Amino acid sequence: MSHAATAGDHSHDDHDHKPPFFQRWFMSTNHKDIGTLYLIFSLSMLFIGGAMALVIRAELFQPGLQFVDPHFFNQMTTMHALVMVFGAVMPGFVGFANWMLPLMVGAPDMALPRMNNWSFWILPFAFTILLSSLFVPGGGPASGWTLYAPLTIQGGMSVDMAIVAIHMMGISSIMGAINVIVTVLNMRAPGMTLMKMPMFVWTWLITAFLLIAVMPVFAGAVTMLLTDRHFGTAFFNPAGGGDPVLYQHIFWFFGHPEVYIMILPAFGIISHIIPTFARKPLFGYSSMVFATAAIAFLSFIVWAHHMFTVGMPLQGELFFMYATMLISVPTGVKVFNWVTTMWRGSMTFETPMLYAIGVVFLFTLGGLSGLMLAITPADFQYHDTYFVVAHFHYVLFSGAVMAMMGGAFFWLPKWTGHMYNETLGKIHFWLTAIFFNITFFPQHFLGLAGMPRRYADYPVQFTEFNQWSSVGAFGLGLSQLLFLYIVISTVRGGKKATAEVWDNPEGLEWTVPSPAPFHTFDEPPVIK
Amino acid sequence: MVLSQHIKSCAKVFALGTFFTAALFSGLAQAEYAFNFQEPVTEVARDIFGLHMLIFWICVAIFVAVFSVMFYSIFAHRKSKNYKPAQFSHSTTVEIVWTIVPFIILVIMAIPATQVLIKMEDTTKSELTIKITGYQWKWGYDYLGLNEDISFFATLSTPRNQIDQFDKENAEPLGENYLLETDKMLVVPSGRKVRALITANDVIHAWWIPAFGTKKDAIPGYINELWFNVDVGKEGIYRGQCAELCGKDHAFMPIVVKVVTGAEFDGWVAAGGSFEGVESIAAEQSDDALEVQTEETTRSMMDAILPAAQAADQPSSKTWTKEDLMSKGESVLANCSACHGSDGMGIAGVFPAIAGSPVATGPVDAHIDIVMYGKSGTMMGAFAGQLNDEEIAAVVTYQRNSYGNETGDVVLPADVKAKRN
Repeated sequence: MSHAATAGDHSHDDHDHKPPFFQRWFMSTNHKDIGTLYLIFSLSMLFIGGAMALVIRAELFQPGLQFVDPHFFNQMTTMHALVMVFGAVMPGFVGFANWMLPLMVGAPDMALPRMNNWSFWILPFAFTILLSSLFVPGGGPASGWTLYAPLTIQGGMSVDMAIVAIHMMGISSIMGAINVIVTVLNMRAPGMTLMKMPMFVWTWLITAFLLIAVMPVFAGAVTMLLTDRHFGTAFFNPAGGGDPVLYQHIFWFFGHPEVYIMILPAFGIISHIIPTFARKPLFGYSSMVFATAAIAFLSFIVWAHHMFTVGMPLQGELFFMYATMLISVPTGVKVFNWVTTMWRGSMTFETPMLYAIGVVFLFTLGGLSGLMLAITPADFQYHDTYFVVAHFHYVLFSGAVMAMMGGAFFWLPKWTGHMYNETLGKIHFWLTAIFFNITFFPQHFLGLAGMPRRYADYPVQFTEFNQWSSVGAFGLGLSQLLFLYIVISTVRGGKKATAEVWDNPEGLEWTVPSPAPFHTFDEPPVIK
Repeated sequence: MVLSQHIKSCAKVFALGTFFTAALFSGLAQAEYAFNFQEPVTEVARDIFGLHMLIFWICVAIFVAVFSVMFYSIFAHRKSKNYKPAQFSHSTTVEIVWTIVPFIILVIMAIPATQVLIKMEDTTKSELTIKITGYQWKWGYDYLGLNEDISFFATLSTPRNQIDQFDKENAEPLGENYLLETDKMLVVPSGRKVRALITANDVIHAWWIPAFGTKKDAIPGYINELWFNVDVGKEGIYRGQCAELCGKDHAFMPIVVKVVTGAEFDGWVAAGGSFEGVESIAAEQSDDALEVQTEETTRSMMDAILPAAQAADQPSSKTWTKEDLMSKGESVLANCSACHGSDGMGIAGVFPAIAGSPVATGPVDAHIDIVMYGKSGTMMGAFAGQLNDEEIAAVVTYQRNSYGNETGDVVLPADVKAKRN
């Protein structure tokens, strides 16, 4: 075994011997503690980003400006997205990876534990910089999370702070991704061939390659922006011969794989939950793996579907339309596989399963509106309207975020050693699912009827649906306090969980006791 | 259970699902809410609408089919009914089928989509060309290749005290075309292919009229093209909004197009898009929709944004007094207060205050320069092309003698004229 630095110091100790508080939580190289830190960070960012969303929805409850001026409104839409994407969703999945990957492949820890510590501890500093940009003169970045030039060239110093923060998040993500790849490729238990790896490991392995491929691209784009702003270059500034559309091409070359970075690990989580509660093996394992790889490959050649209206040549529009439509084939395969896994199973509907079914149902809805968006002529009508806003919240909230919530309920007993309160869990699912739909379903209609996105104020005919949406958003936001309560109370106590937790689940993580001891798999398990 | 029984039950769920979806949509469509695209008035917009509905129903069918199976399974294959789990985990045949069938469905979607797209991108054989320029935050229109030189700006005409509802006492109720009304309208003929060349002056905007089925980004340094040909018989006023985030007042730069018959359009052009011609259009506009807007306010706004080119041609023999300049300056001020605030205080860090600022209290030349030519790297635009000499002189005079700025300076149109070129 080549797990050099990991087990070293403590391997001779009792398994549950833990370092003192400060060393444990600030200097940890333990994958479980770092995973916990990531998850706590992600949850706090979910609430911060959510609060920003509520400012947006409060202002949009009625036409006219009631609460905030449009400049601050734009800061809220921008920061909401940056915080949710880079603060809540990405670190959330890294938290799951830290906790679960070593347990799933039978490794004692991540391959590079000190780098693991560093990649987490960059994040609080990055987000301190990003969030404090709201308080500098001129307020936070207000150009949308895409930071399109030349609007960002006009912005105040907050744009520079956002750029620095993005560089730091990028470094953190790349280090996390390297750690995942090295762990998965080198530290699997004897006998665990690649095609025997659990789906979550597979999806994260592919996600890690996507991260390494595109985060530097994003870093490059924002660096060019920075030099345009301060050092006299004109990459994107037409006044100096630059090209504003170039920024969009570079950004979306990052941005499209980025959306799969946020959804592939969610697919992995769902692929664990459904077989467990259907009491039946995952249908079409190898086609799941190939579909994930196909999605990842296609994600690199579809970027310009985010920018059909920039005036590309016809041939370009046709290429990106066809390539984008193709993505629905492997995505469809995944959905069919999940449904077939349920088919003739023996299902029970504990909270994680409710979440998994909710994700399959609502993500597919978002996927189908995505297929509509791929159709270029129709996209000219949908582009930059609330139809797009509805679409990506269906795939990102009811895809990524709800998958994480399902995953949290699924593994919480393993993490804490306690069962969560099943009734409260179910209530939380139904509140979340119902309020989510009240918030975002009407936004499809708003978009089709012609309401552009990123509007602080809107014509009167859009009032009713905006009111539905705002009421739903506040319900959705408040429901998450219940999630917080359930998580905290499960950490503090509750019914003791068994090692297996669920009914005969598959995977190495269920072979260790609950809660998972501080050190696991000092001796690698053997997979037959 | 035998497979054929499963299939029958699934079919029942499928039929039920389709029925409810259809019922839901027909029921909702009767309500006051707008659920779908605005009524298309061009052939392309109708094609897009047809394409949109085709794809929509295909998606509904796929959705209902997949989830009929899933929900049937959820109800039938549950542990509480003592259903014994099967243990199958793959089937090559089924997996190949559900890879190939979606692919075929995609081809069926792609064919009409390609046809419509090719049609949309064919901007040849147009009968009228209009250059559209996006500004923070208004639209500029230039009619190209006509004998008459027609160009103007269109700015939001919704009064500020309808928009600002912070202070309920001074706020007015919202008008019918709240945020969808402009002081001037783009005038185009029906039944003729109109080509638009679209660009921007500062940041990226997007020009969109939903009923025409057109949306294109206005990008500085680029000239994009789109075309539309409004059906004869569909004359009237069509409204759209900017569709690409362009800063603070992104939501406040609507697009209003008046479609007239070819004969009316020719008459309008012959009148040179002159003040009278425009006024009659404006009067029609208020007849049509804008009860809130009196003719007088329309006229004063027209005055305010009268194109520089036209104004420059007029003999400016008038002797300007400080009072004249101050009152004219006040009428032009909306250009400045969009960012710098109606109290001249701006927003710290992005929009500097005019009140007590080094520019508005320092050397006059520098003040005129920044108004005329903007400041690169900031949102301060160049107004030399948007305002005429009198207006620039007036607004600079106004700013130097209000908001507590007591310089006493008077800037004359001649001072501005001397700085042109």
